[in-house]
Amino acid sequence: MQDDYSSIWGYRLKWLYTLLIVVTLMAPVFYVMYISFNENGFGARHYEFTFDWYVVIFSDLLLLESFANTLVLAAITVVTVVPMGLIAAKHYKITRYPVAVVSLMLSPLFVPADILGSALLVFFKNLNKAFTALGETLGVSWFDTWFDLGYFSAIVGLIIYTLPYVFVVILITMARYKEQQTEAARSCGATAWQAFWHIEFPQIRAGIFSACSFTVILTFNEYTRTSLLKGGYDTFTGVLVSQMLNEGMSEQSYAMSSMVSYIAIGVIGSIILLTLVRAEQLERVARAKAEPVGA
Amino acid sequence: MFAVPVIFMVLFFALPLALTYVWSFFERTMFWMKPGFTLFSYHNFFTSSRLENFLASMGHSSISVVVAFVLGFPIAVFIRRSIPQVAQHRVILLFILPFAVSEIIRIFALRPFLQRNGLVNGVLLDLGVISEPITAILYTPTGVIIGEVVSFLPFIVFAGFLAMEAVPKYVFEICQDLGASPFRVFVDVILPLAAPGIFAGSVFIFVNGLGVALLPNILGGPGAVNAGLIATQAITALDFPLAMAVSAIMMTTLLGLLYLGHKLFDLTKILSPMS
Repeated sequence: MQDDYSSIWGYRLKWLYTLLIVVTLMAPVFYVMYISFNENGFGARHYEFTFDWYVVIFSDLLLLESFANTLVLAAITVVTVVPMGLIAAKHYKITRYPVAVVSLMLSPLFVPADILGSALLVFFKNLNKAFTALGETLGVSWFDTWFDLGYFSAIVGLIIYTLPYVFVVILITMARYKEQQTEAARSCGATAWQAFWHIEFPQIRAGIFSACSFTVILTFNEYTRTSLLKGGYDTFTGVLVSQMLNEGMSEQSYAMSSMVSYIAIGVIGSIILLTLVRAEQLERVARAKAEPVGA
Repeated sequence: MFAVPVIFMVLFFALPLALTYVWSFFERTMFWMKPGFTLFSYHNFFTSSRLENFLASMGHSSISVVVAFVLGFPIAVFIRRSIPQVAQHRVILLFILPFAVSEIIRIFALRPFLQRNGLVNGVLLDLGVISEPITAILYTPTGVIIGEVVSFLPFIVFAGFLAMEAVPKYVFEICQDLGASPFRVFVDVILPLAAPGIFAGSVFIFVNGLGVALLPNILGGPGAVNAGLIATQAITALDFPLAMAVSAIMMTTLLGLLYLGHKLFDLTKILSPMS
């Protein structure tokens, strides 16, 4: 896999450096996992392997409840943000202003969580006050809870956070899709939905599923926006941060951190493996097609 | 229907951020704020230690950008230059893995890793490199910089990878045939061509280093503050106009940098691989 101009040792050294950086970035996380299996916890002279800390976290009702809350947030975010990402990617393909669309979709990446969270918090509090005042003027109480800080505001924050990633993943998958296929289907009498569902969707399915997995992982990882916009410490990372800030890193915190990391590494690792296998299959097909018949 | 995501983003992303400028001039009340026009929040920010902290965190973020660039950009060049095109995306996928683990956990995990009796000190002591544990890393600006680099380095690899799309592989071969040194190739060829992507990646690290409150909160120890932490502390103290003034200052910094980058390098060029 090296180019003609570099030496084999230089090439191997560069690979080694790349892997070293990946391992270094992951090392603190692996170290936390290692500590989570130590009966005596962090810094102990003797390492004694145990699953006890995981047993403790799985029997913690508060934690299980926070896990369920996060799962609900993740499910609602997935069913909202993935169709939005898909629509935005299709819009990008046909719009006369692609730079404006892509800039708007990707700009949340550049706004730190605390800044966006603070702005949205004040925005929702203002909306709430405005609609409550409107309700009072009209003599109704319907609007009183519309923009209360809670699930709705937290999900808005999560959508803004995850949309850039979903948009990019789907856009990259769609780059391989030829629009002429949709045009051909429409010429044959298919409706727009039939052309999408039967022709385009099967070809971008991998990107859609990757986007769903990314959204779940990002929702489980997110803390700042959710805590500002929902309040309380009732999400998985919320409980984790509250424990860490109030009690320091306990053995339970190590096990919880490791749990979140296992889920993330498991899901993303599976996507990477599937991508590699799929790419290998495509390459094999391409090689077979390129070979002369009878060779 | 195509307009739904755009309308959503304008309504719940662009509008709240734009309104921070308006709210930053409001007057503070006991528990909220009231419409008005006062520069009190800005005066409060610019005449207190907050400005000093903000400038210090700008300094730390700038160092993080340089360190992340030095460590991460050569990887992007290596992938584009030496890995066959069909395999390039697979190597990039390696950097998704650290990114997939929660930023909070990665930041918290640095505590036991760098602590006095943590892994780094343990290994260095065992190897005989040091005789006393290093205590000047955690709860210092160095700890914050390490946290920023560990958190955001994958982005400079991703941005660098996109940027290197603008540098065709044959360019390296021509440079080598003409006898250019690697340094000359980097300064005279790679940097000018890949500048939009490098700039976007650098702005990302710089702004997030300024804005992610957990970094100084967890790794910086007492007194370590950045813009994100000032904003969240102001919200906790129910000083909403001050929080909005900090957000407005951050947004102005970000927009100023992006405008400058666009004028200098035409940032739309980095979007071409997505077309």
